[in-house]
This record gives sequence, structure tokens and C-alpha cells, in this order.
Amino acid sequence: MIIGAFLFLSNIIAQEKTSKEYKKRVLETAEVDFISSYYSQDGNNASVTGGIGNEHLTDLASSITISLPITADDILTIEAGFSAYTSASSSNGNPFDISSASRNGGDDDDEYDDKRAASNTIGSPWVASSGASRSDVWSTVNVDYSHTSDDRNFTWNANASFASEYDYTSVGFGAGILTQFNEKNTSLGISGSVYLDTWDPVYPTELKSYNDVNGNLNLGFFNGITILNEIGNASTSWRPKNGFEKIQDKSRNSYSASVSFSQIISKNAQISIFADFVQQQGWLANPLQRVYFGDVANYYIGNASSISNYASSQNKDVFQLADDIERLPNSRFKIPIGMRLNYFINEMFVIRTYYRYYYDNWGISSHTASIELPIKISDKFTLYPSYRYYIQKAATYFAPFEQHLSTEKYYTSDFDLSEYNATQLGFGVSYTDIFTKSHLWKLGLKSVDLKLYQYKRNSGFNSGIVNIGFKFIMD
Amino acid sequence: MRKGIITLAIIGFFSSCVSVKEYEKININDPDMSLADKKVEKFKTNFHVYREAAAGANGGKSGGGCGCN
Repeated sequence: MIIGAFLFLSNIIAQEKTSKEYKKRVLETAEVDFISSYYSQDGNNASVTGGIGNEHLTDLASSITISLPITADDILTIEAGFSAYTSASSSNGNPFDISSASRNGGDDDDEYDDKRAASNTIGSPWVASSGASRSDVWSTVNVDYSHTSDDRNFTWNANASFASEYDYTSVGFGAGILTQFNEKNTSLGISGSVYLDTWDPVYPTELKSYNDVNGNLNLGFFNGITILNEIGNASTSWRPKNGFEKIQDKSRNSYSASVSFSQIISKNAQISIFADFVQQQGWLANPLQRVYFGDVANYYIGNASSISNYASSQNKDVFQLADDIERLPNSRFKIPIGMRLNYFINEMFVIRTYYRYYYDNWGISSHTASIELPIKISDKFTLYPSYRYYIQKAATYFAPFEQHLSTEKYYTSDFDLSEYNATQLGFGVSYTDIFTKSHLWKLGLKSVDLKLYQYKRNSGFNSGIVNIGFKFIMD
Repeated sequence: MRKGIITLAIIGFFSSCVSVKEYEKININDPDMSLADKKVEKFKTNFHVYREAAAGANGGKSGGGCGCN
């Protein structure tokens, strides 16, 4: 009887072992994704210089994502990346060094306390300067762990992230669950994430310097510099709003909850609907971005004869001193709701569509719609023409250069928060090698994706981005 | 309340769709039918987050991680 019981249990264990051995793995083998992009933009509404000025910016970004099957049910994903930009707008945190030197500006946006002759001090919102803030590197690491149930109908995941810039640090955590039912025709997902971010604020040079010398325009950065009034005469009357108050709360925390629902509608169509609920708190403005008020006198440093031409891109040698940095509420609630609908037309064509409505309590609402038409021209090559349209209403606190009043509590001249519409044209090509003939060490090349996008706003801003991605799988 | 009822009705409508069997999902499982952006589009999504006031509901981040949106 004991032998019989042992044989019975052995049989059950053997069956379980066999079933586990033959259980399809969630991820069959390790995968590695290399992604790289080059981005370039141009415009005339630089936010660092109060809504006018050169917006030229270039950015080079790369990331590597490694997905490892830890067990048949578990996947560990590690992602590391960087994004390095050079920006004319950001460079004008300190605009007074465009003729190759800076004054003793201290710890504003310039790393160096170098000196120059006061008579040479000029600046312009239309000319990139050589200040430290002209470039920065954003680097990030994300780790995600996921587990899927034996019947493959339930998955949970947890993740942590860290990101860093010169003036910004972010720590994030998140978790989510996804369940499938109705013969895997329907899925429901819920997730949440928290980002605990911190500013190491960098201020416009003249405001930081004003604060450093307690408003004495004969000391520090201002020593030997002539400040001009609107008619070009020397003046010592410039005073930023409230003598310039630095920010106190340097945190920016984001708390978000997301829900998603997807449904297979037919053998050729599926849809998903998803929504995020995001609460942000802390310093939600950018301390480097200037604001100029229309109801106070203007003051300048540079060439007096260029003052009358200040807002023109022909101005290369005079800079208007800021009235303040942008100030925005310390709380923002956002609700984006999106939908995707994909339809498989035939072996050659697929239609991918996307729509999003966005609302927040800063007065912004927007609509985003896009369509992509993958065209399989062979077993290995697919083309991806696409079109995207975006339209948004302005934030309540937005006004262009010199349009705000000094009596307002909140103000920004960041045109990213203005009213505009934008179109984006895209084209891509994808190469897929199902037999992974090309190899790099033990990694077989699975696919190569190349995508290009041209983006244009009705306000004159335009940009382009080139993305390339390589997917490898472990042999 | 009314929006909630509409949402439930939509979910109920889609849940009652004819069930597609696993062996009938050849087209649904096509990589281009994925209900998410391709990985190669990650940096494009990032630039939208930087340059537009709206963010989220696209699988990308909806806030945090950079000094932008």
C-alpha cells in the first residue's frame, strides 16, 4: 500500500514536472534592444528668454534594454539610457558671454567665475551663448520585474527608476497588474507609479546675481556694468519683482494611477481604451525661464542702439533684464484618456489608429489623433507612413513676451503651454530576419527599425527626429 | 454617473463580442497589430512629452523623470 501511494505521488510529481518542462515560457530567450535617436528643433519663442528668442536645440539619445527570462514565468528587464542636448535657449540662462567670456556671476548657470571687460558685456535672446546651461545630459536606469501565472491569464510587475540631469534628479517606483479573460479576448490592467523628483535650481544670471548682492547694482556681477533704460540711458533703477525670490520647495512629485482595457473585436480588429490620473505637486515651473511684465519699465545690458529692435532676430547685442522667473501653481491634476483601434486589412496592410483627449486643471485641454499604415512589401520589409495631428488650448497662466502684468500671481511665457496646433508626418522602414542570420557575439539580429518624423506647429516651431532600433535575441 | 453608465455599457458591449479562438488569432498576433507603440518610438514619445502640454495615455510616462512636463 505504501509502495502504491509512493508510485501514485511519484506519478503526480512526474506529471507536474513534465507539464512545467513543457510550459511555454513567457519570454523564450534573452532579448536586447538598442535604440538611438537624433532630434533637432528650431523656433523663435524661447522660454528661457521670456517667449522670444532662438529655440534651436539638438539632442542625441541612446538606450539599451535587456530582457532576461529568469524562469518560465518571470522576466527581469533592465534599461539604461542617456539623452545629451545642446540648446540655444537654455544657453541664455547666462546670455552675457556671447563674446567668449563671462563675468563673475557665481553659481548661476555658468560653471566658471571668469571675468571680462564690462564694456564688452552684451547678450541677445537670438544668439546662443557659451554658458554651462547650453548643454546637459539626462541619464536614466529602469529595472522592471514581472511574473505571469501558469495559465498566462494574470501578470503582475514592479519597477524602479532613477534619472538625473544637471539641475534635476528623479526617483520612481511603480507596480501593476494585468488580467486576461474571455479566452484571452479581453484584458484589464491597473497600475500606479510615484516619481519623487528634486530640482537643483539654476536661475537666470541677472536674477541670481541680484539676489546675491541684495540689490546693490555696484557689486558682484553688476560691478562695472552699465544698465540701460528704455531710451538707452544709464540707470540703476532695475529691480525684479519682489527683489527676486528664490524657490523654496524644490520637490516635484508625481503620483499616477492608470487603467487599461483591451478587447479583440474580431479576427482582424482589436481596440484598447486607457486613462491616466496624475497628480503633481511641488515646483512645477522651470526656474531658468524668464518672464517680462508689460506694466513695468524695461532695462537692458548691451548696445543701446539695438534696444528699439529688441524683439527682432536682427538684435545680436542687447539683452533685456528679467522681471521674474515663471511662477506656476504647486499642484496640477491631469487626466489623459486614450484609445487605440487596429485593423488587419490583409497580408499587406494594417491600419493603426490612436486618439487621446487630455484635460488638466491649469486650463489646458488637447486632442491628439494619429494614423499609421504599415505596408508589408515583402516577408522582411515593412514600410510605416504615418500622420499625427495635435491641438491644445493655452494654460490659464500663459501670455507671450511682455503681455503679463506684475500684479498676477502665476505667469509663464513658455510657448509649450500656449494655444497651437501641430502636424507630424512620419515614415519608417522595418527589416525583420526571422532566422537571425546576422550575429553579434551570441546575439542574433532579429529586426532593425528606422523611423523619421517631421513636426510643425502653426506658431512657426518645427522639429525633426530620426530613430533607429536594433533588436537582438540570444542564441 | 451618466458617464460611468456609458463606460460600463461600452465595456459590456466589447465583452460580448464574439470570442476569437487562439488558433484564429494569426492576424491579431501580427506584430503591427500590437496595441502599443514600437520600442523604437520611445524617444519620439519623449519629445512629445517635452514639447507639448499634454502627456500620458500612450504607454509613456505621464509625469516625472525629467524637468519637463
